[in-house]
Amino acid sequence: MAAHFAPTFRTPMTDLTGGIMTHQSFTKCADFEMRAMECLEAYGVHVGRSKCQDYLDDLRECMFQTKQLARVNAMRQERHRQWIMGERSSENHYAPAARIDGY
Amino acid sequence: MAAPTQDLPPKGGYEAINFKRIPARTLFSGGQMFAGFSLMTAVAGYLYFRTYKKIRIEEVEMRSATLALEPLLLAERDREFLKQLRKNREEEEKLMAGVEGWEVGKHYGEPIYKTVPSDRFIDPTVQEYYAHGPTSSFTRHSLFSLWS
Repeated sequence: MAAHFAPTFRTPMTDLTGGIMTHQSFTKCADFEMRAMECLEAYGVHVGRSKCQDYLDDLRECMFQTKQLARVNAMRQERHRQWIMGERSSENHYAPAARIDGY
Repeated sequence: MAAPTQDLPPKGGYEAINFKRIPARTLFSGGQMFAGFSLMTAVAGYLYFRTYKKIRIEEVEMRSATLALEPLLLAERDREFLKQLRKNREEEEKLMAGVEGWEVGKHYGEPIYKTVPSDRFIDPTVQEYYAHGPTSSFTRHSLFSLWS
C-alpha cells in the first residue's frame, strides 16, 4: 500500500505524477479507494491504519478478490470431497457448464 | 619443300555482308496505342464505378442491420449472464447445505465487503462464474477470451 501514502517531499513533480497509478479511472474499486483515502486523510496515516481498517480491507478485497477466490476454492473442494466420499455421483460431479459468451 | 600456300580470299572476293537493320513489324503506332489505352481505361472505369456503387449500398445495408441487432444481442448476453448467476447461487445453496458455518454468498459467515450494504450486487470473477461447472469450461473460456 505504499503507493497510497503521501510522498515525503511534495514537489510539482509529485503533484503531477501522484494520480497516475490509482484506481480512480472508472474501475470498480474507485469508490472503495476514495472512502479509504478520505478516512486516512481524516485520521492521518498512523491512527488511520487501525481506525480505517474496514475501508482498507474492502479496498484490498476489491483489488485482489481474495475472499471471492477463497469461496470458489472452498466450494470446489467441497464438491470434490463429496464426490470422493460417494455422496455425489459421477454424473453430478459438476453442474452443467456455463455458456462461454455469457460472461 | 613445296611452295607455301596462302589462305587467300576466293576469286571475286567475298559477298557483301548485310548489316542492314530489320526493325520489328509495327502493329500500332504510338498514337493508336495511347488511344487504345484511354478507351480501355474509360470502359473499365465505367464498369468499376458501377460495381463500386452497388457495393457501397450493400455495405450500408449491412451496417444498418448490425446496428439494429446489436442491442438485441447485448441484451441476450446480459440475460444469460444473470440467469447463470442465479443458477450458481442455487447450486451453491445445494452444495454447501451440509457445511457448517457457510452462508450463501459469504465466505464462512463473513461477508465479502464489510462497508457496503449486504444486498449490493458484487461483480463475479471469471472463476466464480464458472465455479460449478467442469474445469474444461473455464479453460475453454480462457482460451476463447485470450485468443479473440
